[in-house]
Amino acid sequence: MIELALKILIFGAVVSGIWALVASGFSLIFGVARILNFAHGTLFVLSAYFGIVLVKYGVNDYIAFVLGILFVGVVGVIIFRLTISPIKTHEVMVVIVTLAIALLVEQFLLLIFGEHGISFPSLISGVQNIGGVRITNIRILSFFVAIATLILLEVFITKTKTGKMINATSQDMEAAMLMGIDVDRIYLITMFISSILAGLGGLLYSQIFATTPIVSVKALIYAFAIVILGGLGSLRGSIIASFIVGYVIVVTITFLGARWSEFVMLLTIISILVVKPTGLFGVEE
Amino acid sequence: MRKLWLAMIVILMLSLSIQTAMAKDKVVIGVIGPMSLPEGQAEKNAAMLSAEEINKEGGILGLPVEVVVGDTKLNPDSATAEFRRLATVENADVITGGFSSGVMAAMMETMAETKTVFLSDASSPAHPAKVAEDYEKYKYWFRISQNNGTTFAWDLADMIDFLNANGLKIKKVYVIRDEHIWTDAVMKDLKPLLEERGIEIVKDVQVPKGYTEYEQLIDEAESLNADLIMPILAIAGTGDVLAKQWGTLKPKIMLAGHDLAAIDAEFFDKTDGLANYEVFIADGGALVTAPPTEMCKKFIEAYKQKYGHYPESHQAYGAYDAVYIYKKAVEEASKAGEQNPFDPDVVVKYLEKYNPENPIKLTRTIAFHKNHALAWGDNYVRNWVSQWQDGKQYIISPKTVANGEFKIPPWLAQKEQEEKEQKTPETTKATPGFGILTAVAGLSVALSLAVLRRKTK
Amino acid sequence: MRCVRVEAKINAKTILSVIALILAVVTPHLIPEAFVYILGLSFLFIILVVSWDVMVGYTGQVNLGHTVFVGVGAYTAALLQAPERLQSIGVAIPKAPIFVSIIFGGIIAALIGLLIGIITLRLKGYYFALVTAILPLVFMQTVFVWRNVFGGEEGFSIGLENSLSSSIVGKYYIALIIMVVCVVLMLLIVNSRIGLKFKAIREDEELAESIGIDTTKYKVIAFVVSSFFAGVGGATIVLYRITVSPDLYDIPLMLLIILSAVIGGLGTIYGPVFGALIIYLAKNWWLKEILSNLFKIAPIPVNDDIILYLILIVVGVLMPQGIYVELKKRCHEVRLKFEKFSKI
Repeated sequence: MIELALKILIFGAVVSGIWALVASGFSLIFGVARILNFAHGTLFVLSAYFGIVLVKYGVNDYIAFVLGILFVGVVGVIIFRLTISPIKTHEVMVVIVTLAIALLVEQFLLLIFGEHGISFPSLISGVQNIGGVRITNIRILSFFVAIATLILLEVFITKTKTGKMINATSQDMEAAMLMGIDVDRIYLITMFISSILAGLGGLLYSQIFATTPIVSVKALIYAFAIVILGGLGSLRGSIIASFIVGYVIVVTITFLGARWSEFVMLLTIISILVVKPTGLFGVEE
Repeated sequence: MRKLWLAMIVILMLSLSIQTAMAKDKVVIGVIGPMSLPEGQAEKNAAMLSAEEINKEGGILGLPVEVVVGDTKLNPDSATAEFRRLATVENADVITGGFSSGVMAAMMETMAETKTVFLSDASSPAHPAKVAEDYEKYKYWFRISQNNGTTFAWDLADMIDFLNANGLKIKKVYVIRDEHIWTDAVMKDLKPLLEERGIEIVKDVQVPKGYTEYEQLIDEAESLNADLIMPILAIAGTGDVLAKQWGTLKPKIMLAGHDLAAIDAEFFDKTDGLANYEVFIADGGALVTAPPTEMCKKFIEAYKQKYGHYPESHQAYGAYDAVYIYKKAVEEASKAGEQNPFDPDVVVKYLEKYNPENPIKLTRTIAFHKNHALAWGDNYVRNWVSQWQDGKQYIISPKTVANGEFKIPPWLAQKEQEEKEQKTPETTKATPGFGILTAVAGLSVALSLAVLRRKTK
Repeated sequence: MRCVRVEAKINAKTILSVIALILAVVTPHLIPEAFVYILGLSFLFIILVVSWDVMVGYTGQVNLGHTVFVGVGAYTAALLQAPERLQSIGVAIPKAPIFVSIIFGGIIAALIGLLIGIITLRLKGYYFALVTAILPLVFMQTVFVWRNVFGGEEGFSIGLENSLSSSIVGKYYIALIIMVVCVVLMLLIVNSRIGLKFKAIREDEELAESIGIDTTKYKVIAFVVSSFFAGVGGATIVLYRITVSPDLYDIPLMLLIILSAVIGGLGTIYGPVFGALIIYLAKNWWLKEILSNLFKIAPIPVNDDIILYLILIVVGVLMPQGIYVELKKRCHEVRLKFEKFSKI
């Protein structure tokens, strides 16, 4: 029984780490620019595909890892400049357009890479035995990378000057503008950070599991569900929510079986929303 | 504005309809499949290749062969619309392809309506059952790509026998399978076969499409003392993740089963080499590295020459055979003095002549049963037991086609030894990764402490 | 003067509609059956798009989960035609006549719409769009979880003998009739007093509330109407094509609906009819032909979906209010300029 509890604890934690990365990126850009970027999941898979292509052409694994992340950062900024910022005030049109981008890229990746999974080479191999539960090192590493990144993000936003400007913009865009903050630049920086968070998540994911074009939609659904659960725009809310979602999934797999996992997760989220429409930590607008 | 558009639509439609009213001057082969997937691409490429070859040799009864392509998008709606287009607009004489049982079920209705000879893929036993049930309606359907789903159970049981005869002791099986009708059929037949052998199924897990959390399942299999993890996976699409996590965790359990992903020639690279030693049964009765017939060998070479790579999936053999067997049937019909050898009812009659007593050797040895399913067996088509070994696929059983020998994964061989040595206590070795782990862990703890301290200030 | 112009406009619309109808009636005798089949399906797709427009174009509440109702209607009708599938969960119902199952598809969809509407439409802003965006995923999961009933990934077939008609041309005419009835009913609703209240909510929700309109109530009414017709559309599609599968819940269908409505012009009913026809036929017919010819010249990794998504992105970015509104605005500007010019 204790072993089972430990197992759930550990597996839940490592699954949640990656989703926390993805969701926090999604939440960040919403909090600052008030847009829902439905192409977020696309950035998640693009980093892995780009990294894999680089590795195929003989680039060192670690360099490919970093370049893959930076690449999606740039892609995110381009998407924002070309498609999102012209229609920023039409919130729902942003959703529609970014969703169309997501599906477009998915089709494109399907045509080029096919539907089967591709893996980014694992940066570390091996297995650890924690209290009778065996867990791969790459999962543990991913967990710690995710936690460290989230802490860095927190430090960046609360301590640095740029971070403070981002924070100010998210709290009151007009006031920030009056204070002389170049809001458009802040949007681009935020989009860049949001994208590299997705990219990092995607690269970690493709080492533990594998990347397929369809994963982009899955990542989007998870990020989206987590963010509404945690409350739109609340960074901490989405981190806590990703652990809730992670544990709901692991517990469901353990006790009910694999086929129920996503259904139970979505039902949980819907029922929380019915009771508390703003999510767990959301604020009324 | 709308009037203009509608007028344009009508004109477009009219111009298309004129084409259909011409006399027979060519043989049209329709290929239908999911064109964004390797299965569809393989079907299209193989059919094109066969048409090219046949045209060089003078066509079918002197008529040139043309290939037209339809895309199912794995969606019954698109599939039936496309099938209908191929059959009635392109006037396809025969259609080959398919993939995915549900899409096939939908297309069979369109096939019955349009009375088109359909040499198809997809493994569900429900399709030949329809032929048996309502022969006149569904007789145009033949399965050429692979065996009936029920034969997969025999293949899997034979595979376990083979593994047990070659150094493994499999008593307990942990099944991981698609949450899908096709695996239900396999399981139904597999259960009694395993019972006969005194083998227990310790758990039967069904996973949805896109499922990835196999580590938990492998863990569970271990705690249940399973000797074999048997995947029966095609739709899930994540057999590679299972192989990867098995190769990383290295449990004392063999991984062997029906894993469609493992047939992919690039599977080894895509899993970063972790699929090494996985045993799988090769769908469709042919592997690039071990062609069962002369024609198959030639076909694989020609394919590689034309497209620059080997067939993307086993459906290539089916599509290629489909065109040739159609040619044969039409020629036989014409020889026998049939007035219209292209008449679908006539073609069906002559295709049925290739029964288990009278098989035809193409890339594989093809024969049809009475319900138009493909004949199964060592002498016909079956799923050969194969293994990934250091980046190459080898057929390891039966002996008649094998080109390699079974290799036990080294960490399993270790198990046998350990058992002999009366179970020495397991020690965790520190791996190089562990250094990084502790470093990162330390770093993150330090950072969080720093943040917290500043906050309290 | 103004009155006359409005009348003239109605007349023009009516005349065009009649011409279009006559064309629709004679078309099956002019073109091959495979295209008749697709054209019939495109009529049913029109119902889906127009019913989306009733909610989104008239009350301004963006429903991203319209496919929920399409799918619910579809599965309801399919199960009423194949009731033996329900036995596995211990439910025994008789097989319904075809047209009863269509109506039932609509009713069940409307009931679910009512439930969702009551819960979600009290709140303003994003909330409705967000929740409706998740809903199709939940409903899609039900198909996989209870796959003995719903048939899982690939759905199931209701059998050739249960289709709308035994001939394709027959199916086509039934689809045409159902589409015309649905569109006319929806037109009547949005042009009624209730429709006026929908528009008031769209223009300014707070103002509408202040003049005594119970906005939640009318939003729910619009939503129920919209889901009813979506359900009818979904049910008819199933009886038309004989198969039901989760693609009727899926995101690509939702995007196709949005694209059609946006291209045709939101809040106009006629616009979405036109948009739906163009987009559906493009997707299932023209684009493929064009692309397959293109592929012969150069093997570019492009398919029809990519082209449609690209169109949606471009239209969305350049004309976020929809082509119709944008064109009207531009025309107006041109006319103003012209008037200025003529004054000089």
